[in-house]
Parts: sequence; C-alpha cells; structure tokens
Amino acid sequence: MSEGEGKKAPYTLPIGPTHPALKEPVMFTFQMEGETIKDVDFAPGQTHRGIEWMGMRRNPVQIVHLTDRICGICGVVHTLSFCLAVEQIAEIEVPERADYIRVIVHELERVQSHLLWAGVAAHELGFDSLLHLTWRVREQAMDVIENITGNRVNYGIVQVGGVRRDITPEQHPLIEECLTTYEGLLSSLLDLFLDDRSIHMRCRDRGILTYDDAVHLCTVGPTSRASGVNMDLRQDYPYAAYGDLDVRAILPDQYAGETRGDVYDRIVVRLLEVGQSCGIIRQCLSEMPAGEITAEPKIAKLLAVCKKAHGEAIGRVEAPRGECLHYVRMDGKESPTSWKVKASSYSNLMSWIPMLRGEQIADIPIIVASIDPCLSCTDRVAVIRGGRRNILTKEELHRLSVEATRRLQA
Amino acid sequence: MSSLPMIPELLRQLMRKPATNLFPAKYLPPSVTEFLHSVASGKAHLTPPVKTPPKFRGKIEYQKDGCIGCGLCVKVCPSHAIELLPETKRIRIWVDQCIFCSQCTDMCPKGGLRMTDEFLLATEDRYEENLIVE
Amino acid sequence: MIGSWELALIVLSAVIVTVYGIVVGLFLLGIDRKLAAHMQARVGPPIRQPFIDLRKLLIKENVVPDNAIAWIFNLAPVVALASSIVILLYLPIGSIYPPLGAYGDLILVMYLLTIPALCMVAGGFASGSPYASIGAQREMVTMIAYEFPLAIVVVAVAWRLAAAGIQDPFTLGSIAAHPIWSVAGPLGIVGGLLLLLVMAAVTPAELSRIPFDTQEAETELAGGLLVEYSGKNLAMFSLSQGVKTLVMAAIVVAIFIPWNISSLVLLPEGVALVADLLFFLGKVILVMFFSVSLVRVAMARFQINQVVSVFWIYLGLIGLVGLLLLMADAALPAAGVII
Ligand code: SF4
Ligand code: SF4
Repeated sequence: MSEGEGKKAPYTLPIGPTHPALKEPVMFTFQMEGETIKDVDFAPGQTHRGIEWMGMRRNPVQIVHLTDRICGICGVVHTLSFCLAVEQIAEIEVPERADYIRVIVHELERVQSHLLWAGVAAHELGFDSLLHLTWRVREQAMDVIENITGNRVNYGIVQVGGVRRDITPEQHPLIEECLTTYEGLLSSLLDLFLDDRSIHMRCRDRGILTYDDAVHLCTVGPTSRASGVNMDLRQDYPYAAYGDLDVRAILPDQYAGETRGDVYDRIVVRLLEVGQSCGIIRQCLSEMPAGEITAEPKIAKLLAVCKKAHGEAIGRVEAPRGECLHYVRMDGKESPTSWKVKASSYSNLMSWIPMLRGEQIADIPIIVASIDPCLSCTDRVAVIRGGRRNILTKEELHRLSVEATRRLQA
Repeated sequence: MSSLPMIPELLRQLMRKPATNLFPAKYLPPSVTEFLHSVASGKAHLTPPVKTPPKFRGKIEYQKDGCIGCGLCVKVCPSHAIELLPETKRIRIWVDQCIFCSQCTDMCPKGGLRMTDEFLLATEDRYEENLIVE
Repeated sequence: MIGSWELALIVLSAVIVTVYGIVVGLFLLGIDRKLAAHMQARVGPPIRQPFIDLRKLLIKENVVPDNAIAWIFNLAPVVALASSIVILLYLPIGSIYPPLGAYGDLILVMYLLTIPALCMVAGGFASGSPYASIGAQREMVTMIAYEFPLAIVVVAVAWRLAAAGIQDPFTLGSIAAHPIWSVAGPLGIVGGLLLLLVMAAVTPAELSRIPFDTQEAETELAGGLLVEYSGKNLAMFSLSQGVKTLVMAAIVVAIFIPWNISSLVLLPEGVALVADLLFFLGKVILVMFFSVSLVRVAMARFQINQVVSVFWIYLGLIGLVGLLLLMADAALPAAGVII
C-alpha cells in the first residue's frame, strides 16, 4: 500500500478497462506522484468485434447495415463513407436530392452527437444537472431523426446509390421547428457551459494540446480544430452536397478571441458546431432539388452492378469526432475482398498522452472524454494467441501486412 | 448568480413537471412480470410508452400467401435472420436475430413483408413462439 | 454525580434519539434525492428509496478484500455510525433539550464531527486499494481545509454571545436560547449572515457532496474511500451518512435558526412538542435543500487543491470578515458608552 510511503512516493494507478471515468473500454496505466500524473500509457483493443471479418462475407447491401452498427452514436457516417467508397468503385452516380438528404441526416447526427458529448463532459466533471439538461434537449434531434429514418439509433437510411427514405414536405415543419429550438437554445447552452465558474475552473488550461502536437499527432475533427488547426473535410474535400453549401471550419478563437487548445476550447468548438449544423440543415432544406432519391431503386440490380465492380477506393466523411475513413476493395465478387474501417477516434487517441502529462487525477475523466473517444468504433484488432494477449511491434506488423498482401495477390 | 448560471434554471425546473415518461409505471415495480399480470387483470395501470414514428421499424410481419419462395429476402438479410424452407417454398424469420433494418421488406417483389410498430419484444427465451415468424 | 434515575433517562433518550436519527437521516437522504431529481427534470426514486437500498445492502454479501487490514476495515463503519449518533445526543432537536446537553458543548461537537471522517480515512487506507488510498488522502486534506472556517464560525458566534454577557456561550443550549440575530446589532447581523454562508459551505464538505466530494468522486475514483465496501459495512456507512446529514443541518439550525413554534405561538404542551419537532424537521429540510441539494446539482466538482483554496482563502476570508464584523458590533456600542 502506498499510504506509509509519504505523499510524493511514485505509484501506479490503473484506470480501465472498465471504470466510471471511461464510457468505453480502454486500459490506462498512470505513473503518479501524489495527485500529479508523471506519465501515462494506454492500451486500446479491449472491445474488438470483428466487424470487418463479417463484412468480407456479405454483399455491399448487407454491409451497409453492419456499418450502421459500428458506432452507437454515429449511425450515418460509417455507412456514408462506406457507400462513398463503393459508389466510386462501381461508378454509381448518386442523385442530387439523395446527397442533400444524406447531409441533413449527417448534420442532425452531429447535433445529437455533440449534445451527447456535452452531457458526458458535464457528468465527468460531476455536474449531472447539465448532463440531464443536454440529454433532455437532445431528444428533439433524436425525435426528428426517428421521424425521418424510422429509428433513433440505427438509422438505416443510407444505401449504396442514394438513400432509402425521402424527406416529405410534411416533415419540413418538424425539422424547422427542431432547428429553431436549437438555435434558440444555443446561447443559453453556451452560457451554462462557458460562463459557469466551476466549469471554467475545471476546464480552462487543462489538457492542453498545442497546435504543433495536434498537427504532428495527426489529430482530426473538433480535437484538432480546438487547437487551432483549420481543418474540416466538409470545407477541404467536400463530399455529398457539401460542395454547394457554405461550410467553414469552426475554430475556438471565433468565440473567445484566442486559441489555447484546452478542454474549454473543445467545448467551445463542439457547441458552436451545433449552431453551424443547424444552419447547414436550413440551407439544405431550402435548396434541396426535387428528383430521385436513389440511383438504383431495384436492389437486385444494384447487387448485380456491385458484383461486376473492380477496383479500390476510399470514402472519407467528417464525422462528429473527425475524419472517418473506409477503404474498400472489390474484385468482381459478391463481397468485397478487403474492407478497412478507420474511425475518427483512432487518429485522436495519441493526443491523450501530451494532454494528460502533468495534470491531476481529477482531470483524467474530463481530459479522456474531451476528445470524445469512441473506442468500439476504433478497435480493429486484438491479437490473442493461446489465451494470451500479444502486442505486435511495428516490424512484426509490417511483416504480417506484407505477407497478407502477397496472399491477396496470389 | 452570473457565475453559476445553472441555479435559476434548476429552481425554475423544481416548479415544473419532470420530463420523464413514466413507462411502464411511476416507480419500477418490484417484479415487472407480476406488474404486467396485474395490469392484465385490470388491477394496475400501465403508462403507455412514447408513440412510435410513422416509418418505425418494429417486429416483422410476413404474408405467407403471396410469397413465391424466391429467396431474395434471404440474400439481403444482413444478420442471416431469414431461413428459406425448401419443402414449402416459404420462409421462416428468427426475430431474435433480426436487426430491424427493413432491407428484406424493400427487397420482396411480392410486398409480403412489412415492419409493424411492435417493439416490446424482450424475453428470456430467444426461441419463443412470438419470436419466430412463419 | 449522576443519579441512577437520571442515567436511565439518558439511556432511554439515547435509544430514542438513535432510532429517530437513523430514520430521519435516511428520510432526509430520500428527500435530497427527490429534490435533486426534480431540479434535473427527473421523477427520481421514491422517498423511501434509501430504506430499500439499506435493506438490499443488508442482505448482500459483505466482502473484505484479501489485502485489506480486516479489523480496521470492519471497525471503521461501526465507529463512524456510532460517533455520528453520539453527536446527535448533544444537539437540540425541536424544543427537546439534548440528552447529553449538560455534558458537552459546541467545541466537543466539533471534535466529534471529525470522528466519522477519520473512520472513513482509516477504512479507506485499510481497504488496500489505490483508489481508496487516494480518497483517504483527499478526505484528510478536505478535513484540514474545512476545519479552519468551521472553527471561525464557532468561535465568532460564541465570542459574540460572551460579549453580550451570556453564560456558557459554547453550550448549544445557550446558543439556541439566545439566537445571534437577537443579540447582535445591524453590523453583527451582516457578520452573522457571512458566517451562515461559511457554515452552508462547510456542510457539503462535511457530508462529502459535490462540489467537495473529491474523496468519493465517482467518475475519478469510482467511489474513492468506499470503493471496496459492500453489504453490511456499506449499509453502516450509508446510515452514518444519513445521520451526519441530520447532524450538520441540526447544527446550522441550532446556531442560526433556533426558534421554535412553541416560543412564537402559545400551544398546549403535547401539541407544542409535536409542532416543534415538525417545525424542526422543516428547518432541517430547508437547510439541507440550500446547502446540499441545490449546491450539489448546480456545480461541477472541484479538484482537491481547489477545495483547499476555496476553504482557506475564500471562505476563511469571509469567515474572518464575519468575525471582525461581530467584534466591531460588540465593540462599537461599548465604545459609544465610554465616549
Ligand atoms: S429486417 Fe433486416 S434483419 Fe430483419 S429479417 Fe429483414 S433483412 Fe433480416
Ligand atoms: S422476397 Fe418475398 S416473395 Fe421472396 S421469399 Fe422473401 S418473402 Fe417470399
């Protein structure tokens, strides 16, 4: 036990794989000195589900429904980036109306995801009232999503070639009403989060990620934008209907006049993005052209097209947590020969280390949550042999990859 | 209270009605099964769940008569929940496996499959009669 | 010397107060949860939930970790519960004079208040879990932090009463009999309000509630001090939590709002007793609402170093200003007389 050794004696504090500070499993090992974190290491891979393996035994129409279930919060980004990849390979032209509907659902998802995150962040700070408040107002976005797609979480709206459900004129007032609510709420949310003394004390200058670190560690999404990196796929590489829409990356200095790259800035960026998403949806609703919602309404035909397709492609989407990427390779077979998912959190995990070093135990939950980690999306591999977990070095991994490529080429 | 902006909001909320939907009852009954029995016999009142939206995807419904046994639904079902019965040229759906994606209903050339709005399907036996649609 | 008759009376009232303290304490926890839930737009658990929880804990297995020091680990909850009940014996409840009121004063109560906290520290260290050890360290730091402003409050009030020529200013009986507001002038009342504020801030720290719940900090330490406790032992800690809530509220009531219904309106004796008890409960709930329920839902948790600076710097200063105001209040009229 550590109590006899005085307060400053270094000790190890394990947090995870399951711990109230973590909403998803990951294993942290902290080297502590008193209440201060000296060093930290973490081991993801605690929740690998083998979803790619399942995908490589199914046809694209089926995989779409698997991708819906990669993440419990981003129900559309994985599907969308997978479809973007398949559509590139099979050269399917998506109708314009479908692109707009995709964007509307995508942005509604961002609204609910950021509100969900804000609630979790408040909970990590011990501020449960804000958790209840944000999750309560989040319900309206969930209701609209449910109304458009038929389900709260697994939307099942995007399909290769377009979308499966249209947005009818009767649904417009419902969406508009939801947007008005959020635009009205935004200022009070900003007030409740950013003007609160106790939140300010806990988040300002905690878990700083400098601009250089954010760039070197290849962070993505709000995590990098909060450090001042002007980067947003919707602005840099527009997909779906974003080319027609006016999207600018949100940076914290737009609100506070300065960028510190701390937890507070991450709250700023996410809350402002809620407002931005509302604007985008409004624009979509007014500019949405009439027309077909899918390139190929006959699924059997769609399957035939996909079966003939040859080639490889990457689909990229700006998920609420940052860039989400799907690599697909199809060789004229029923199912893809290769499918690789890189969730946004994968790029952000490494930023934990500079953020956590030198901070206190009390900061661990909020800093860990501040990148909005989604580990069940991220975990792609767990190596277990003979019941024991193995950790592969870079060299081993490289050798295995080369072997796998040879196998595929043979 | 400008440094603690939450306080006015909380005091206001104290006077209002809570947002919780009290499904199935205000407080969790000690035994849900017993509670459902007493609801059935009219002794207790069940607060209804939130209404489902128009395009809701609940438990699947299958019209046997129109089915031609083409097996297209089997081909697109992502969770292998549909089984083709070769003797009768009909299908059997294992609802415990179904992920409610509605892909089969989109696919069926005869329109014999439909998603209902029944969603209270939790049970202890995955092979219960209620969970096998033929 | 205590006569045997008197001793029997003390024992009897001790038993009554124990039962009363436990029942009311749990009931208070239930009300606190209900109020917090409603402020968060939830329905919340029924008010009897702490009793249900208690029953559940009592039928659960009592796990003692392998690397715990078993006897300290098991003793800590018992002592914590017993000591918090003992404090209750020194506090006036309604118009009932405290059973042990003649044998101790506010200073003793202050010392007794540290015992449940020390038990939790001992139990935490004895758990043999890093989370509990960190929690125990934090509990010690928190104790040291709030003890200073608490002492200021006690000394200031007693000093002002002494300055007004009241006998035994430290006994709760005389503090309750001479409310500070009726003794002090306008300056003193301002000072008294500041002290009330300090006391309201000490209460959540004493009860390890947000924002001062670093020692339990669910999201950081998964329950901290109590992480290894289960079953009967945890039940005892939760009982002592209830009793402590009653104790803290009763102290605030005794020092700052000691009036009774029976002293304001004339009532027949039996009715007066009941009315006073109900009125006392009302005051306790009011105190708990403002210093525990409302605060704990309206703020984020502090870090441990922030807890220390809040108590030593901000609340310490507020307390000292309150003390100075009370001193000035006592000194000014006196000086006026001399001039
Ligand atoms: S709804 Fe989806 S999962 Fe269910 S049976 Fe139809 S295709 Fe299969
Ligand atoms: S797709 Fe329709 S017609 Fe064909 S087997 Fe399935 S249910 Fe029967």
